[in-house]
Amino acid sequence: MIVPLGHVLILSGLLFVAGLLGVLLRRNLIMILIGVEVMLNAVGLTLVGASAYWRNPEGQLFALLLMAVAAAEVTVALALVVYLKRSRSTIDVNRFNGMQG
Amino acid sequence: MNGLTNIPALSVLLILPIIGALACMVWGRRASVITVLLETTVALLLPFRVETTVFPWLRFEDWGWIERYGARLSLGLDGLSLLLVWLTVILLAVAVGLSWPRYRQSGFYALLLISCSGILGVFLAQDLLLFYVCWEIMLLPLILCIALWGGAKRVEAAFKLLLFTLAGSLLMLLAFLGLFLLHGRQTGDYSFALQALGTTVIPADLAPWLFGCLALAFLVKVPVVPLHGWLPDAYQEAPAAVTLLLSGVLAKAGIFGLVRVAMPLFPETWTSFLPVLGGVALVSIGYGGWLAFVQTDLKRLVAYVSVAHLGFIALGVAAFNVIALQGAMLQLFNHGITTAALFALVALVERRTGNRQLHELGGLWSRTPQLGALVLFFSLAALGLPGLNIFTGEILILLGAFGAHPWWGAAGMLGVLLAACYTLRMVQGVLWGSPRGPEFMKDITRTEALILGPLAGLVLWFGLYPLPFLKLLRGPVEQLLAYLVTTGGLP
Amino acid sequence: MTEFLFLIPLLPLCGALIILFAGGRMPRRLLTGVAIASVAASAAVTLWLWPLAADQSRATLFTWFDAGSLQVPMELLFSPLAACMALMVTGVSALIHVYAACYLHHDPDIRRFFMLFNLFVFAMLVIVLADNLLLLFLGWEGVGFCSYALIGFWYRNPVFATAGRKAFLVTRAADVLFGIALLWLFHLTGTLSITAINLQAASLPPASVTILALLLLAGACGKSAQLPFSSWLPDAMAGPTPVSALIHAATMVTAGVYLLCRLFPLISLSPTALAVIGLVGTSTAFYGATCALVQRDIKKVLAYSTISQVGYMFLAVGAGTITGAMFHLLTHAFFKALLFMVAGAVIHLASGEQDLFRLGRLPKRSPMLFWLLLAGSVALAGVPLTSGFFSKDAILAACFARQTLWWTSLGVAGLITAFLTALYALRLVYLLTADREAASGHGPAPRGLVWPLLPLGALALVGGLLNLPEVWGGHAGLGRWLATPSGLSPSHGLEWGLAFVTLLLVAGAWFAIRNRYRVPTSPVSERPCVDFLIAGWKFDSLIRFAITAPFERLGSELERSLERGFTTSWPAGLGRLCQATGQKLRVFTSGSVSHYLVAMGWGIILLLAMLLFLLIF
Repeated sequence: MIVPLGHVLILSGLLFVAGLLGVLLRRNLIMILIGVEVMLNAVGLTLVGASAYWRNPEGQLFALLLMAVAAAEVTVALALVVYLKRSRSTIDVNRFNGMQG
Repeated sequence: MNGLTNIPALSVLLILPIIGALACMVWGRRASVITVLLETTVALLLPFRVETTVFPWLRFEDWGWIERYGARLSLGLDGLSLLLVWLTVILLAVAVGLSWPRYRQSGFYALLLISCSGILGVFLAQDLLLFYVCWEIMLLPLILCIALWGGAKRVEAAFKLLLFTLAGSLLMLLAFLGLFLLHGRQTGDYSFALQALGTTVIPADLAPWLFGCLALAFLVKVPVVPLHGWLPDAYQEAPAAVTLLLSGVLAKAGIFGLVRVAMPLFPETWTSFLPVLGGVALVSIGYGGWLAFVQTDLKRLVAYVSVAHLGFIALGVAAFNVIALQGAMLQLFNHGITTAALFALVALVERRTGNRQLHELGGLWSRTPQLGALVLFFSLAALGLPGLNIFTGEILILLGAFGAHPWWGAAGMLGVLLAACYTLRMVQGVLWGSPRGPEFMKDITRTEALILGPLAGLVLWFGLYPLPFLKLLRGPVEQLLAYLVTTGGLP
Repeated sequence: MTEFLFLIPLLPLCGALIILFAGGRMPRRLLTGVAIASVAASAAVTLWLWPLAADQSRATLFTWFDAGSLQVPMELLFSPLAACMALMVTGVSALIHVYAACYLHHDPDIRRFFMLFNLFVFAMLVIVLADNLLLLFLGWEGVGFCSYALIGFWYRNPVFATAGRKAFLVTRAADVLFGIALLWLFHLTGTLSITAINLQAASLPPASVTILALLLLAGACGKSAQLPFSSWLPDAMAGPTPVSALIHAATMVTAGVYLLCRLFPLISLSPTALAVIGLVGTSTAFYGATCALVQRDIKKVLAYSTISQVGYMFLAVGAGTITGAMFHLLTHAFFKALLFMVAGAVIHLASGEQDLFRLGRLPKRSPMLFWLLLAGSVALAGVPLTSGFFSKDAILAACFARQTLWWTSLGVAGLITAFLTALYALRLVYLLTADREAASGHGPAPRGLVWPLLPLGALALVGGLLNLPEVWGGHAGLGRWLATPSGLSPSHGLEWGLAFVTLLLVAGAWFAIRNRYRVPTSPVSERPCVDFLIAGWKFDSLIRFAITAPFERLGSELERSLERGFTTSWPAGLGRLCQATGQKLRVFTSGSVSHYLVAMGWGIILLLAMLLFLLIF
């Protein structure tokens, strides 16, 4: 293995935290979605790294599955964003509190 | 009859009502009558030609169910459950017959049948998971019946009943699961079989809690006094058929559960629980009787009468010796018959006069003497007149209770006086005085006579010649006592 | 032959069942015929089986209960005591049945009446013949029910129905104590057979015996309308007169005395209990006599008189003379049933008038009835050589023969009561014969109302022959037949003395009454003490005030407060608690996505921290 596992984990950890911060701190829905994608990719990176480390192909399979799921998820999410933009004319998450109990 | 030994009669008994319920939905309510007839036939043929190898049982049937968790469909029939199966079937017939002219929807009958299946399951189940499932099946259809066909405050009453009993049965499930896990961890054999779980060694600090959960579930169903909040409204609002099933059989399930499930599972805790049960029973007798005395609604009055009588049965269980137990077990049947007849009569009176308020009734005897005679007869039975069935149970319970704790017997005797007070007040309000209400009333019709006549016959039979039934109960009762002695609950 | 014993109670039961199931299709004559015939047949069977009584025959039908150590067979014991009682019950019942057939000739509900009447005779015979306390209890409650249903026979009047209920409840209250005695006896002896209990009695702890005897006494007091439980009997006069004659004079009210006689071997072990029985008897006798002295209702006079006379029987049991008690029981059954039936006929003649001060001229209207009234009254008053004289003197003699202060004073009280008895018995005669504008009525008394009274009239006069003391040249036949301990035998001097005193008392009473009532009088002006006596010393108000009213009030209070809590407030409160908690928890669902995301972040951090923690430790 060329890149040591530790480096891979550090990178994916950094990516995950960056994504999480993006999700938590931004108000714009698109930016939050991007944050979620970054987090997903961080997980994918971990899976691939671990797969290479243990020479187990299942991790890469998971990563492929993850990419497919992420693509589907983004499609739905973006459609929702477009719908929200049209109906509420904003994509600021703080304006969406219709689910208040 | 010979063939019956080969067919699994108990399973048939359980499945028949469910098939009947489906048939009701397809072919209308007539199917329920056929089901009841079939069910009665099977139940009456049960005791004949019994050949079983499993020791205490008259019949025992065992089928695989959820093997993974050690749950099986095992059904056992002994003298006590036989009596209660008979009671269930009789009362089901009464319930169907009583509702026939009043309710036309086949759904009502289907629900009654399903509930009956659950009740029979409770009396027969030898597997705790099956017991729990049947326990829920027996109640939910009746709650639906109340909510759909009940009186003015039906939804409120149904909700109250649902919440009280659901809380109880969830506690019961908790206790069962706890036992299941404990037993599995100790022996490696994960099983829900009642007999196996009885051998579980329960840590001393856990036993009271588990037992408390279980006892609470059963006592809510009986109900004894501080836990009876659901009863007056549910009995008052429910259709007559549901009321008589609730008080005639479901209440018995509570006592039955205490004796046949809670006692074998927790023999050590049981003996320390008995004084509590005795106290609660005496409170039930006094409080129920006292409140019955001041009721103005006839149905509510009979509901409290039922509380008082169940207090007597609980007293017999609390005394826990041969005489008292035999009396209490016999009283399960007796009270079922009498209370069902009384609720049926209340319904008949209400159909004729359109009224249930004591101060607006009166003089029924001069309009409908036969109906009046039946009201008087069953009231006398409820009053505990010797020679009628309630006396048989009461005197045995009191004799036994006096043997266990003299004060219990003496205090219970006072309950007999209370019984006279409220019963005679009811009789006077309904029968005597100058006639009121509609000018013309029909006396007992042939169908009604067909329903109440056999009940009256049973009242006399159990009052004058209870010997065969006492013999039937002797085996199970002695077994209960022997079990408690061998497991160290009793010296 | 012993199995025929069951015919005695079962014949009336069969009569009742026939009337119940087939009575609707029978003509009235046949129906009354069945009722009378079944009782008369029972009397005949009793006579036929009489020889069996000498050797205490018993017969068992089947086992009633069998649970654990409890065995209750349906067993009859035909002892001399039971035979006497059974013959009296069936004989007097048969006569009263005949009387009732005429008395209720026009009543539309005759079927119900005779069904209950026959059922009553059955239950009473069960009490008399039962050898098992539980079987006795069956009869005991059975007569209670029949009494309840017959007092309220004219049920359209709620007052009558209430009187029936009162009778049942008061006796039931006493039965609670009787029931406790029953439980205790079984607990101590392990059996409920009267014979076995009497045999084992000597081995029981003395303290228990005393309490047991007192509990049994309480039960007997309830049925026999003795003092704490006496208030139901005057009200019970609401029933038709034949009912009063049979149930509330001749048979049921004496069941308490009979019970004590049956269990006498047990009771006699406790001198305290005997003293209390004597006290209860004497005070009740006195109480009843004072009340009977001023009543205006003819039936109430007789009711209080019954209470008083049964008190004498209790005194006899207390003094230890079973023979005396049974003797008085028999003679009382004769003359009191007679008096009640005469009263019924008088009321019938006066179209339902019961006020003594509006009745009168009996000798002119129906001389036969007058002579019968006189026969009953002189027996009640204890005029020498009548039946009442001998039976009452036997009791008083037994008291004085004890020669202790307690029993002598009870005997003196009994003598005073005897004076009062003579007063009210003669007052009854004088008021009924008074020459005043009597209430209107119709025709002479029907023959059916008169001739059943003739045998009773004869017995009331010469019934003393049953147990004529040796002083008077008799053989004390009843005492020999019963062969029970009859206390100390009084000396001849004592008996003569008593007879003389009684004669004096009766003569004095006659003079007093003659002076007061010779000329027709109007009722005494309303004086408080008279009111007090008419109301039976106001026991009813006392019980109402002290027991029943608080019971009802507290019950309604419970219904309003505690029960409302159990059924409504507390479940609803629980529901509201859940709702309120939900309202509080709503805060967490702000609906804004960022809050949820922050929560998720913290959740992840927490989970990671936990994992880390687990990894390290």
